[in-house]
Order: sequence, then C-alpha cells, then structure tokens
Amino acid sequence: MKNRLALVFFLALGAFARADLLSDARARFQDGEYDQAAKLFEQSLEKSPPSAAVFYELGRALNKTGQEARSALNFRRALILDPRFAPARSALQEANVALGIPPVKQGWRTRVVERIPLDALGLAGTVLFWAGAFAGLSAFFPRGFRGGRLVAGILSLLLGLSLVLAAWLCDPRISLANTAVVLTNGGSSLRSSPADQSEKLASLPQGSTIDILSQRGRWFYGQAPGGTKGWFLTEGIVPLIPPP
Amino acid sequence: MKRVFVSLALSALLPVGLHAQEVAVGLSANQAQVGEPVQLMVTVRGARGADVPQTLEVKGLRINLAGRSTQFEMRNLKMSSTLTYTYLVVPQFEGEFTIPSFDVRIEGKTFRTQAMRLSVGGGTRVPQTPALPQNTAPLPPGQLPPPTEEGEPFFADLVLSKRKVYVGEVVPVELRFYFNSRIGGQVGERPNFGGEGLTVQKFSNAAKREQVVNGANYVVFSFQSAITAVKSGTLQIPEASLEARLQLPGRAPQGMGDFFNNFPLPQGMFTDNREVTIKTKPAQIEVLPLPKEGRPEDFSGAVGRFAMEATVSPKKASSGEPVNLKVAVSGQGNFEGMGAPVLTGDEGWRSYPPSDKFQSTDSIGFTGEKTYEFALIARQDQTRTPGVRFSYFDPATGKYSELVQEPLAVDAKAGGTTPPVASGTPGTPQAGKPAPSVAPASTPDVTVMAGGATSWTSLFSRREFLIANASLAIAWLAVVLVLTMRKFTESRAGRELARKKVVRDAFAGLKDAGPPDFYEKARDYIYLRLDAGADDLAAAAKIDSSALSPEAKASLHQVIERHGETKYAAGGSPPPSVEERQSVMSILKELEARYEK
Repeated sequence: MKNRLALVFFLALGAFARADLLSDARARFQDGEYDQAAKLFEQSLEKSPPSAAVFYELGRALNKTGQEARSALNFRRALILDPRFAPARSALQEANVALGIPPVKQGWRTRVVERIPLDALGLAGTVLFWAGAFAGLSAFFPRGFRGGRLVAGILSLLLGLSLVLAAWLCDPRISLANTAVVLTNGGSSLRSSPADQSEKLASLPQGSTIDILSQRGRWFYGQAPGGTKGWFLTEGIVPLIPPP
Repeated sequence: MKRVFVSLALSALLPVGLHAQEVAVGLSANQAQVGEPVQLMVTVRGARGADVPQTLEVKGLRINLAGRSTQFEMRNLKMSSTLTYTYLVVPQFEGEFTIPSFDVRIEGKTFRTQAMRLSVGGGTRVPQTPALPQNTAPLPPGQLPPPTEEGEPFFADLVLSKRKVYVGEVVPVELRFYFNSRIGGQVGERPNFGGEGLTVQKFSNAAKREQVVNGANYVVFSFQSAITAVKSGTLQIPEASLEARLQLPGRAPQGMGDFFNNFPLPQGMFTDNREVTIKTKPAQIEVLPLPKEGRPEDFSGAVGRFAMEATVSPKKASSGEPVNLKVAVSGQGNFEGMGAPVLTGDEGWRSYPPSDKFQSTDSIGFTGEKTYEFALIARQDQTRTPGVRFSYFDPATGKYSELVQEPLAVDAKAGGTTPPVASGTPGTPQAGKPAPSVAPASTPDVTVMAGGATSWTSLFSRREFLIANASLAIAWLAVVLVLTMRKFTESRAGRELARKKVVRDAFAGLKDAGPPDFYEKARDYIYLRLDAGADDLAAAAKIDSSALSPEAKASLHQVIERHGETKYAAGGSPPPSVEERQSVMSILKELEARYEK
C-alpha cells in the first residue's frame, strides 16, 4: 500500500513539473525570451507525451529566433499529431515561404485528414468490420439460414474495412514514417552515388523534405519532392517523426 | 586523361580476320563541283573476293568501278585482308544527289551498303569537307583535314562551327581523330580538351566512320561537344589530345632487312607498339562582348535562339490550392547558364522560385527544351495567371529579343490561410528573393485549439488495438468452429459416424461384461449391429435375412433366447460357462467382421 502511494505521489510530482516547464516556457515566450522558451518547450516534450500544441509553440519560438527550418520541422510535427490544427498549417506555409520552398499541391489524403479525425475513423471502421463479421456468422446459426443477416454483415464488414484502410493510408504517422527534413545550412545535395565527388542531381533547400528509402554508412538513399532518387549525406537530415 | 582504353577501338582499327566479313563504304568528299571526280571506296574485310556492280546508275552522276586493291596483315599469326574497290564518281550537273545503297556479294552472302549524299556545286570549287556522321550537329564547311602524306598513320582535326562568337554563346565543336586503317591499337575513351576563358560541355560518345583522305583509307573517331566563351577578346583554343596505344607497321630487325626484303612478306609481319598522344592544332576565335545597348532589365544571360510557350494546371483551384504555371523555353543556346523567365502582372499572386528541368535533344546539350514550373497561390480571387517574359540575346542578329506570354485563363480562389495583400505591400517572393521570416500574426490559445494524438504510434500499431482485434478474431474463429462441428454432427455422415462409435463401444464392452450381464450386452450389441432398435421381432427378421451361415443365425437366435431366460425365467438362468462365452464371442466377431465390411 505504501509503495502504491509513493508511485502516485511521484507521478503527480512529474505532472506538476511538466506543467511548470510549460508555464515557464509560455511565460518566457510572452516576455520575448524566445531562445529560453524554445529550450523549455523542448524539455517539456522530452518529459511528456508528444503534443501538437507544444510542438506548435516550439515552432513559433524557433521562428522568432530566425531558425525557420527547425520551426518548419516542428510545425510539421504538430500537424502529424493533429492534421486539423489550422494555425500550425498556416505557420508552416509562412515558414516555407521564408525558406523558399514551393507549396506542395494538397492530395486527397491531406484533405481527408483535415476534415476527419483519423483515430475515430479507424475505430469506427474496426467496430463496423467486426460487427459485420459476427453478423455474417450469425446467419449460419441454428434455426435456419438468414440471407438478410448475411448481406448486412458483408456490407458492414466491407464498409468497416474501407474505413480502416482509409485511416491507415491517411495517417501521417504511417505515411510520413520515413520522411526526413533537411536542416543543414545551405541545404543538401542529391547525388547520383554515395560519394562526395559523384554527380550532383539536384539541390534541396533547407527545410525540404526527403523520403528515406535506405541507408548506407553516412549516406541516405532517398527521393526528393520532385521524384528524383539519389543519395544524401545524413548530416543535418532529421527524421520528421522523432525516433523513440 | 583517364587511362581507360576501350576495346571497341581495336575492332574498329584492325582489319578483321577472314572469318568476320564486313563491308563499308565512304566518299572521299561530300561536296564537289561539276566535272570534278570524287572517289567512292567500298572496303571489304574478311574475304578474298566480292561481287560488286561495275557501274551505279544515279541521274546526274557517272559512277564506274575504277579498280581494286588488296591489303594483307598478319597479327598474332593470323592473316587478315582488306579489299578496296574504288569507283570514280563524276558529277554531270549541280544539285544534291543521293547515291543509293547497293548489294555486295561475298561468298554467297549479300551485304547492303549505306546510302550516301553528295552535294555538287556549279561555281568555284569549295574546299572539301569530310563527311559528317549522321548524328553530328550541322557544322559549316571550312575545315579540311590537314594535308597528309600517303601512309601517315594518324592525325587529328578540330572543327569549329564559328570563329566569331559572343560571350556566353554555345559553339558546337567536333574533334576528329584519324587513324590509317592499316594500323591497329586502342584509343582513349575521351579526349583532353579545355582552356582558360572557355567552358567545355561533356563529350558525346565517340562516333566511328571510315573516310578516304588523299587516297588513303582512314578510320575516324569523332567526339562532339560545345564550348562557351566566358570573356571577350581573342580566345586561344588550345590543342585537344587523345591518347592511344597503336600497333604501327614496323621494319625487320636491324641487319635482317635485306634478308626479309627478298621475300614477298605480308604487311603486319613486323609491328611497332607505341603509346602516342594525338593532338589537334590550336585555334583561335574572336569573342565579342554582349552589347549593353538595348539590354532588357530582366535579361538573365540567355544567348541563342529560343521559343516559349506556357500552360497552366489546374484551371480551377480552390482556396489555398496552388496552380502550376509551366513555361517551356525551347531552341538552341546556353540552357545551362540562363536564368528563369520573369512573371509580369503577378500582384495578387504569391509565387515561389520555379523548379526547372532540361531535356536535351542532342548529345551536347545545345538543342533542347527547358521547362520552368512556377507554383502560384492566389492572394485574391483570380481569373488570369500572371504573364511571362523571357529575354535573350540572339547571336545571329546581334540583338536582344524578348518573348512574351500573355496571361492564361484560370479560376483560382484566394488562399484562406494567407493574409490578404495590403496596399503598398511589396511584390511576391521571386526566385532568389525569399520572403522575410514571418511568424503567425495571431497568438491563438493553442492549449484550447490543439487536440490530436499524444503518441507517434498510429492506432493500428498500438498494443491495446492489436490485442483487442486478436481477441475478436479468436472469438470469431471459435464460433466458426462450433458452428461447423454442430453442422457436421447433424449431418448424415455425422450420425453414421456416431452410430459406428456406439456399436464399437458395445462390442468392446462385451469383452469386459460380467457373467450376469453378458447375455444382455450381447443382445444389445446384436440389436445395434443389425440396427433393429429394441424390437425382438425385427431383430429376428434381420437375423434371418442376413448373409450369415445357418449355424451363425441359429447361434444369434440362441443368444437372444438365453437373454430372455436370464432375465425372465424364474430362478434365472445359470451364468454362461467359459466355453459358451467363447462360442458366443466368436459368432459375434463373425457378425462384426461381416458388417464392418
């Protein structure tokens, strides 16, 4: 009993500490101490589960200190956690303009995630799927076959499967799992082979995103936004989704 | 220069062994005057003879076979030969002529030559220009290979398309390396070429052809490229060089020459292996500066001749959605060095530095199309895209030109998240002019507005989700299993299977039955086995109609009677003796065996 009480006490203490960090960070931001605010937001994120709001605030603090690429990275992270977070989307657009990165045309996935909460969509799909699966099965219970129940079950199963599939395809935590951002000053070069002297295929400005396909030593093999594939130096390239 | 030598050169330079037959044709010049004869050479390799036509019929040309010569060469103890049939081509009148392909028969096989073009002029004689390979860019006449002595093994030539150029103008060049067909060897992959004040494009792959120069047959390797002068004045173009490892015809060892000269030895008996560097002669061109007069403000360094066209997609864009303005600049010029076109009338649009992509239609990047893509977002509702303007310097006219694309129709709604353009706001960010860093104007209470996930793990990868679904899947499978078993039990096969089991159990129970129960269990087994229910009469009828022997039938009746006695007779019946029991069991085993079948 004593042990349990101690655990609850420490958990509560941790929550208070995080809340203090956030309050402190926000206060620093209000006072114009953006560097300090950014550090405190980062500490808060290290100690607590990821939060779209805190990533957004961190991005704003970094933006104020002139670190556009890092601020864009954090706006992107906020949008991964909450794709419907309009201020983060707007801030990302502004940061991209400052970095000289052209906007990407919104695909159907973005449109879906901006409108529908994905976890709810996935859960609804799962419930419908299993309801359909059991309803379909009940058509074969004793007391005679029931065709209507079978049809309803199949329809519900298919609808649920579609919703689950849509949630799966649209979830940025899945679709952007291998995406990284160029943070190097002056951007990064896409080369034809993993060698410093190899042919330069394209230049990517700071803040650009890359889809990482594989890694060999200090080189990533990846795809630039235009679709060109090649090799990038790993230095200064940060995964969009922070590693655990 | 890279010391990479290619073996393809060897096969090109060496006369091929007798087993590999090959036919090649070439003209000594591709330009001539009326009455001036030109030689048409048909070279046959790997054969001792060939059937060739005596004359060729081409209106305006008189073509007659003039003679035949043979060359032998010995290499690595293998003898090879080259036959050359020489035709004299005498133009009758001026014009452009095509000497058609014709058949050459070698040991029953027919080889078809390539068609050739001959240009015949009527005026004063123009200098002869060696025929260009088909894939070369058209170069003006002017450079004749240097006069060679008969048998000169190799020489090189630099062909420039212009001698007077502008700064930034791309000038196609061709480097030609001539090797007498009697020598063999290997040549380097790429020539060395370059100098101060000019940039050189990547070389094309070597093109190979044969050519007669001053009566001698040469294999020519030509490399195409383009140079661009970067400063004005007289520009010295240094020599270009190509390394080669050649097997030159040699002489007999010292003191043995007189001896070998007494015998008709084939050529190639003695060879001299040498590494050589073949060089072109240096040249010079005059480079003019681009005039300041008439230079447009938006001139971005394009020199050449260009055309421009633009398309927009999508034609309808919702709020905040970018439209893509694609501008294609095509023609001939310095695509690498030129800047992007500029947008005009783009107030009300937010534009971004364009991406570009160049698609060359030749091997040296001189001709092609460069496509620029502008991403545009409407700041205000728009019905037309911005216009596009592209300025360049045309070296042919010596003047600047301007290409203008009028705005294209589009229906774009103003972006919802971008602030409207305030009056007096400077223009949109353009290429090379990134907009200043702008933090979101408002400071919303994000703790209220933001929601979303609190984990980087998606719903589908979470442990709770996976466990819940696995449990549901197991439950579903269990229900399927129960339903299937029930269906089977209710089926005819299931029932039959169950009955068989009961019969088997009854027979097995008989062995362990005690004396009081033995006859009862035996009777029960008989009823079950014959499927007679509990009806004595039906059982008796089934026994009688069975295929058992009469003795067995009597025994079965007796078992049923003994059961009756045991059960109903006063005082009961004595328990079965061991012999009696064995006898009953053997009868029942016979019954079991028959019905199991």
